[in-house]
Amino acid sequence: MAARSPSLVFRLVLALATVSVLLSGAAAFALDALFREVALAARRDVLDAQVIALIATAELGADGSLVPATIAEARLTTPGSGLYAEIRDATGASAWRSPSSAGSGLRLLAQPAAGQKLYEQVALADGTRILALSLGVSWETGRGRPATFSISAAESLEPYFAETARVRGWLLAGALGLMLALVSGLYGGLKVGLKPLARLEKEIGDVEAGRRDRLGDGWPRELAGVTQNLNALLEGERARLGRYRTTLGNLAHSLKTPIAALKTMLGAGSLDAAAVSPQVERMQSIVEHQLRRAVLAGGGSTLAAMPVRPPLVELAAALGKVYRDKPIHCELDVPTSLSYPIESGDFMELAGNLLDNACKYGGGRVLVQARPEERPQWRRPGLLLSVDDDGPGISATDRLRVLERGVRADESVAGQGIGLAATQELVHAYGGTIEIGDSRLGGATVRVKLPGR
Amino acid sequence: MRVLVLEDEPVLRESLVRRLREAGYVVDAAADGIEGEYAGGELPIDVAVVDLGLPGKPGLEVIRAWRGAGRSFPILILTARDRWQEKVEALQAGADDYVTKPFQFEEVLARLQALLRRSGGWSQPVLRSGAVELDPRSQQVRVAGRQVELTAFEYRLLEYLMLRAGQVVSKAELTDKLYEQDFERDSNVIEVFVGRLRRKLDPEGRLQPIETLRGRGYRMTRE
Repeated sequence: MAARSPSLVFRLVLALATVSVLLSGAAAFALDALFREVALAARRDVLDAQVIALIATAELGADGSLVPATIAEARLTTPGSGLYAEIRDATGASAWRSPSSAGSGLRLLAQPAAGQKLYEQVALADGTRILALSLGVSWETGRGRPATFSISAAESLEPYFAETARVRGWLLAGALGLMLALVSGLYGGLKVGLKPLARLEKEIGDVEAGRRDRLGDGWPRELAGVTQNLNALLEGERARLGRYRTTLGNLAHSLKTPIAALKTMLGAGSLDAAAVSPQVERMQSIVEHQLRRAVLAGGGSTLAAMPVRPPLVELAAALGKVYRDKPIHCELDVPTSLSYPIESGDFMELAGNLLDNACKYGGGRVLVQARPEERPQWRRPGLLLSVDDDGPGISATDRLRVLERGVRADESVAGQGIGLAATQELVHAYGGTIEIGDSRLGGATVRVKLPGR
Repeated sequence: MRVLVLEDEPVLRESLVRRLREAGYVVDAAADGIEGEYAGGELPIDVAVVDLGLPGKPGLEVIRAWRGAGRSFPILILTARDRWQEKVEALQAGADDYVTKPFQFEEVLARLQALLRRSGGWSQPVLRSGAVELDPRSQQVRVAGRQVELTAFEYRLLEYLMLRAGQVVSKAELTDKLYEQDFERDSNVIEVFVGRLRRKLDPEGRLQPIETLRGRGYRMTRE
């Protein structure tokens, strides 16, 4: 057995797992980025509000420094609250710091020009990361030139980092969960969906082992065609096997008699040509007859439709050559489009025997007609084939006789009619009928009807 | 008449050769397709009997090779498998008739005679030249209704001339077709036999059925 190819379930699960890892990974990445952006924007809004509040309460002191008159925000007065504020002059020296920044080691570097907003991320003495907004303001000092101050608010980013880490964890868990759910769902779905395949495998195994003789019914639509064809194949094979058995049995039985006769002669020591010859003749005709039966392919739904006209044209030409002494005029009334599911050798055999008889016993005029036969219960039409000749015809009493011959090997006689008997066997193998009648050409007409399906 | 027999089964081949010789034919035989194809291409044969199941080269291919090389002698096939498909295939390949095995020698002979008669252009079973009638089936010869007794060789000579009626047949051709290869060839012998045949067919010398064309050969008229 060749190296086993990975199972369908494995292939599908692998493919879907790959796709879901990529998709859920991308989704988690995008969601994470989006969340961080939103969270950061919220932080910036808080800082903006703080800076605006500071400007609103800021007053210019007598020494020219700018300080907030009141501090409304409680977090700015509580040390270690995580919210800080600072006002620096144009030189960058701190003019005022919120009480909350005491001992924090807050040191901002941004130097915005008047009207400019600068965000910066710095670390405090204890390693806490903070986000700071510095807004440059130009303040009227009343002494000529307005002074530029930098008003800053800063907030610890630690809660933000904690939050994004938590969200990232959630996202990762969600993506993993989704992936697992998809893969296991697919696996389960495939197991259920492919169950009929497992059943098919088992039933074929049963047929092989002889535990059942055909596949059961109730298959999904996708498999119904396969199982129907398999059943047809099995039935065809069984019929063929049956025919072989019968043939072998007939052959063995019918050979026994001449063998017994020969043995008797051997025993009696009277083995002369005259006595042996009829026994050998008999054995020969038995073998011929059974050989002819053995090669029949017989009908079956697996046969492809075969165009009917070309073999008839070939036969007519070949027979014209054989019967050159009487000019054969063979008229083919067969549509070119006509086809029927029959093994090509069987059809050649069937038509060959009919045409040969017509040429042999007729006066030379042969008419071959073929038509499709439609019936409501047939999806594919049957075939009507008739061969007429202008010979003496076959009398009503002989009609049955020529068809009966060859039914059993040891009763068959070589010569006239054997072709028809062989044809009849073939027609029966395809489930058809054969009948002999009078032709309007003056001779016999042989009509063969093969069923449709 | 010269026959080529291609048959690999020795008993069958020897029996065919022997009985064909008894029937007055000059016979060449081969047991395989390659040798047979060569013989059919080189020897001046009038008809071939070919078994389809030959070793070396299948009979069907031998026939195709002969026909492809322009050899036009009639061919009778012997086949053990008597399915129409095979018969049609062989006839399409260039064979002219078939006999299925096992067969009666008489059937082979009758078909050979019919093929020879047809290849000579005769469509009737009885050959006629003037007052001379020859029936290959019964090997009987009549002149103006009177039966004439001929020896085997005389009969073969007459049959050949009548099959080729209307054509000039040279003495060399007659030696080729009426003697086995190894026999001594002497055109005087042919002259002697033609002389005897003339006396038997036409004792009074009124009918002159066999015309002599000096230096070219003999001719019988085709009625």
